[in-house]
Amino acid sequence: MVLIAVFGLVPVVWSLLLSFQQTDLTSAGTWSGAANYQQMVHDPVFWQAARQTLLYCVLFVPITMALAVPIAVLLNQKVRGMTFYRMAVFAPLVTSTVATGVIFSWLFNPQIGLVNAGLDKLGLPQQGFFQSTGEALPAVVAMTVWGWLGFAVIIYLSALQNVPRELMEAAELDGCGRVKAFRKVELPLLAPASSFLLVWLTINALQLFDEVYVTTKGGPLHASTVLVYYLYQQAFVNFNGGYAAAIGCALFVVILIVTAIQLWLGRRTSHYEAG
Amino acid sequence: MRATPQRAGRRFGVRVTAGAAVLALGTLAACSGGGSGKSHGAVVMWHGYTDAEAKAITQLGQEWNAAHPDQKVDVTFGGSNDDALKKTLASFVSGKAPGVAYEFGSSITTLAKRNQTQDLTSLVKSTPSFQWNDFFPAARQGATTPDGKIYGVPALVDNLALVYNKKLFDAAGLSYPTPNWTWDDFRNAGRKLSAPSQHRYGWAYVNDGTEDTVWRYVAMLWQAGGDLLTPDGKKAAFDSPAGLAAMQLLHDMAVTDHSVYLDTGDGQYQNLFNSGKIGMLWTGPWDLSGINKDISYGAQFLPGKVNHATIAGPDNYMLFNKGDRDTAWAFVQWLDSAQTHLKFALATGDLPLRQSETQLPGYQDFLKRYPANKVFVDNLSKNATKSRPNIPEYPKISQAIGLAVQAVLLGKTQPQAALDQARQQVDQILAGA
Repeated sequence: MVLIAVFGLVPVVWSLLLSFQQTDLTSAGTWSGAANYQQMVHDPVFWQAARQTLLYCVLFVPITMALAVPIAVLLNQKVRGMTFYRMAVFAPLVTSTVATGVIFSWLFNPQIGLVNAGLDKLGLPQQGFFQSTGEALPAVVAMTVWGWLGFAVIIYLSALQNVPRELMEAAELDGCGRVKAFRKVELPLLAPASSFLLVWLTINALQLFDEVYVTTKGGPLHASTVLVYYLYQQAFVNFNGGYAAAIGCALFVVILIVTAIQLWLGRRTSHYEAG
Repeated sequence: MRATPQRAGRRFGVRVTAGAAVLALGTLAACSGGGSGKSHGAVVMWHGYTDAEAKAITQLGQEWNAAHPDQKVDVTFGGSNDDALKKTLASFVSGKAPGVAYEFGSSITTLAKRNQTQDLTSLVKSTPSFQWNDFFPAARQGATTPDGKIYGVPALVDNLALVYNKKLFDAAGLSYPTPNWTWDDFRNAGRKLSAPSQHRYGWAYVNDGTEDTVWRYVAMLWQAGGDLLTPDGKKAAFDSPAGLAAMQLLHDMAVTDHSVYLDTGDGQYQNLFNSGKIGMLWTGPWDLSGINKDISYGAQFLPGKVNHATIAGPDNYMLFNKGDRDTAWAFVQWLDSAQTHLKFALATGDLPLRQSETQLPGYQDFLKRYPANKVFVDNLSKNATKSRPNIPEYPKISQAIGLAVQAVLLGKTQPQAALDQARQQVDQILAGA
């Protein structure tokens, strides 16, 4: 409890207090009421960051989950060398973000990267990726989906393995094909896993930072600036500690609301929990 | 610095951001044992040197201690220079600040505000033997805040020069850059050196929008006779014919000629230079050690318009703790004396800090060992006359200009429009909005 208080509660309360101050974080601040929040409402870059954070969530979460289900099903078979395949899917998750970032920067390098070289071979147009204002955020999505896929797969895989064999056998006896059995039996049973992933991935997506920091630095021209990156910039580049804290508090509220909605929806739609 | 190009590679850019990064943790958390204060009565000096530089500074510390048993210093590695500011601020909270520490030039405005930081102005002025004016101008400016106070003594002074691949110049039938090269010569060479179909580029520009993007533009601005701010430092002055000319050159080379490799900030340009894919760099001595042996390269002053201005990245030794001041001051005086520093320069390839170092016999050995450094040293006396303003607003100003430069390089904004926008932002920043 003491640990939770010291490392959890104190910083939360502290940043709430900070958000009502003007402070450079190195010397004592001055109280400024709601000035930081007023500034936030009128700050175009903040709104751009907020929009981009949302867009990132809307892309990242569904894509990750949609890709994870078929892969989990494939990994749920009895095939030789399955451990290897599972490891391969899981590996990106335990790879350090910095390493991932460096590798994707190389792959996505517009001038000398492998991806553009491949596109060239296929006769497709060259892309700008991290250096293009239109593609930087999607490129970050691609990179993070790759990084998080393993996590989603593990969750789905464990859910699939909890599906009682009798249920599937019963479905088969009743004349269900493999595909239909999956749709009618396994998929509904994945609902709790899905609602967990939805919440978990969304929270993580809203807090996106590392991947942006190591690849695009929020650029080009703010095109991949998300809220936490903007917060970092305000706090530790511009030394607007109070303003950064205000952004943090806004994000905190957003996460709280989104999570509450998701849990509520999840409870309503999950077939599993009522039992 | 030399030995670890990644530390130095993006020196100033990284400094402004990461150097200050976890700063809050250090100051707010009031715990951090980190400090060492005095050990066995010796004044503690923190440095972030590694490899050859660490060896050299340790040796100098021993030399000093042998000669001054009553004024001992304890030269210790205080963690990477990137973290120096953070650690120093944390040490203030814990009450165990070092007597001397190596600090990035950009840290001076933050540190000058703190009580622990020693104002050296009167010491410097009352010690003629220290020969303050013997230091290269960029080094002096780097240790001075706009109010004229001196808060450090020079520890390192770098600058940018044109580094080029001789083989690519030969292949393109171009003669090597001269000290009088104009922007037109430069642009022309860039165009002839590049071959987009073979992914070869005339020039590389770090385009991540950080200080690394900004400082090369600032050098160009100065070359065209412009300046960042008005003399009183109250308003932006870069939205001028000179500022426009510099932006236009970037636009012409990157957007019209496609002769510029735009580096996202991952330092890929150095690998490409090593593979003969980039003809010219604007870089400093720290990048030279990273150039492969089989690449025959030359160094030259930056091209010019009105002049051939370069931009320096000076770092300082700063003094903390009043109680340690006498010993610390005696030590840094000796460390920064021409004789001692030349010894350090010989061992490490760091550039001389003082003009008089270049008069010493040992300087010829330095040039023999680091021939390409000659241009950088000459730059210090001839072309590194201006410096970026040492004001607390600088990081914000840098961001605004970084965005403008980025927009132009990517062809998203026309040069004049980019300048207008940046000027508005900078004026607002300076007005305290």
